[in-house]
Amino acid sequence: MVLTPFGDWHSISSMNINRRRHFFINKPLQLRFMLYVTLPLIVITCVMMFGLYIGIWGSMLEAFSNEKLRNDLLTASRLTEYEQARQTVSGNEDSALSFFKQAEKLSQRQREVFKEILDSSNKTLLPKFFLLLFFIAWGSVFISHKVAGPFYRFDKSLEDIQNGDLRVRIHLRKADEGKTIAKRFNDSVASIDDSFSRVKKIIRENEADPAKTLTLLKAELSRFKTSADS
Amino acid sequence: MRIPDFFRFFTAVSLCLLTPLSPLYAEPAKVKDADLLKKIQKDSFQYFPRLSDKTTGFTRDTSRPGSPSSIAATGFALAAIAIGASHQWIPADWAEEALHKTMKNLLTKAQHEKGFFYHFLDPKSGRRVWASEASSIDTALLVAGALVAAQYYPGSEIERMAHDLYARVDWKWMLNGTDLICMGWKPETGFLPYYWDTYNEQLILQALAVGSPTHPVGKDVWNAWERREDEFNGRKVVFAHSGSLFTYQYPHAFIDFRNLDDAGINYFENSRQATLANREYTIGFRHLSKSYSENSWGLSASVGPGGYKAYGGKPGEGLQDGTIAPYAALGSIVFTPEESIAAARHFYDQHSKQLYGHFGFKDAFNLDKQWWSDEYIGIDQGIIVLMLENFLNDGIIWKKFMALEAIKRWVEICNLEKETEIIPGS
Repeated sequence: MVLTPFGDWHSISSMNINRRRHFFINKPLQLRFMLYVTLPLIVITCVMMFGLYIGIWGSMLEAFSNEKLRNDLLTASRLTEYEQARQTVSGNEDSALSFFKQAEKLSQRQREVFKEILDSSNKTLLPKFFLLLFFIAWGSVFISHKVAGPFYRFDKSLEDIQNGDLRVRIHLRKADEGKTIAKRFNDSVASIDDSFSRVKKIIRENEADPAKTLTLLKAELSRFKTSADS
Repeated sequence: MRIPDFFRFFTAVSLCLLTPLSPLYAEPAKVKDADLLKKIQKDSFQYFPRLSDKTTGFTRDTSRPGSPSSIAATGFALAAIAIGASHQWIPADWAEEALHKTMKNLLTKAQHEKGFFYHFLDPKSGRRVWASEASSIDTALLVAGALVAAQYYPGSEIERMAHDLYARVDWKWMLNGTDLICMGWKPETGFLPYYWDTYNEQLILQALAVGSPTHPVGKDVWNAWERREDEFNGRKVVFAHSGSLFTYQYPHAFIDFRNLDDAGINYFENSRQATLANREYTIGFRHLSKSYSENSWGLSASVGPGGYKAYGGKPGEGLQDGTIAPYAALGSIVFTPEESIAAARHFYDQHSKQLYGHFGFKDAFNLDKQWWSDEYIGIDQGIIVLMLENFLNDGIIWKKFMALEAIKRWVEICNLEKETEIIPGS
């Protein structure tokens, strides 16, 4: 046994054998799946990202537009003046103090604006998140159904074959995956079914002539490769 | 008829004719004034349906773009919309729907603390903005406006919701363990370090707090604040610190103080004296300012060339810089009808081009600086609408407000019932 830092040589060789060299084994099938799964996810994610981007930055740009800033500055100044008019007992306040109060009001307002933007973003994000969850759930059910349905049919059919019924054929739905393989399967089973039918026919028609029966059976079975051949 | 009876009859008839309320406008020469006042009231009213949010009904503080909703302006809006519907300035079903919507949103959406609304709200969401305080006086003005609207719709859902708004306010909490009502509370810092400790617009707050059906404050709270008296030009006034006219007007838009007596103080007469003193103080500066004249007066908190200031007369701080707020004279119309009408006529005839717009008079002007405000302020529009309604319609707001059980309770608890009736405006 040749030992390497990664294990024995045999196991590394078998890993290499099992490693896939071609990622597109069934191009049409894989491309279709990419179309079903990846594209909708990309579209939904893009829409969400775009909505979020526009929503947040739109609110930010609006909140900090020249007009809004001007209005906010005037409102800060006005509200400070209201407070002074109502609360100042000793008449006019120092203008520097007034300026600081206005600045404080403005910063409080900006915090409120940020909070409003965050709250509204969260509010719009939440339904979008649930919508995305719904799409993913629906998509996974839809796609898995397209795959799981045929698998189920194959399983049942193989079970029937194992039990000796060679009349089974797989009929898939229009939207199901695996139609090509189902056709192959049906052709294969049909071929075996034909052979076994012929075998049965040979035996039935040549019961009186065992030598001819044997010859015909040999000829019929010669196209099959089995474990008993070697 | 006996001679004393004849004198009594003669006196009564003469007083009726001199009364500044409705009979004044029966005289043909004054009809023009009445029409002007009605026009001003109707135009000023338009601020409220136009600048209230369509979804929530919350009214903007000012007409300036970006202005938040003010809870006090919303209170004035509630009363104004009921008034507007009663005059058919707006369709009755629209008004009812607007009031219903606004009150419902106030109960469910507007951010509050123990029933006290935050001073400034987002017009759309009703959330607190600008880190404003849960304001005691602004909540009182809102509740007062809601109760006025309720009186126009007895037995309705509007009435029920207005009383729910009132019942929810925990006035005792706003005392913060003192016997004075605090100006407000903030979640970040707690109670503000300012209390309603002297005479000013807080009378409406006091009345609602004492008369509350659910969280009343005691008579000691009514007695706790200082009634400081001073004199100007021979006029004795229990005065507000700023000397701003609005402080003498806001409670009087709702409460009929004519027949109330607070241990010798009649606040209606006090406001009349304060208005006359304010006018005389203004006229005293006529040689220094082009804005001031016999018919151009009224110093009250308003916008000015240097921003919003608590302009006012004396007694008080007496801050003036040549800025006149037309709402000040109009808001005093029940106290000084002749002077106020003359001022309204003067403002309209002389300055309407720069000063009069879609919603009536803009907030202020200053002739010295050739400055004209281009904005309207909700509460200033509100006081014009309500005071003119009292003046032009026989004190209808007073009658409706004084009929409230809570107000009757306040009058009784504070022992304000006057023994002998006085003649209004005499």
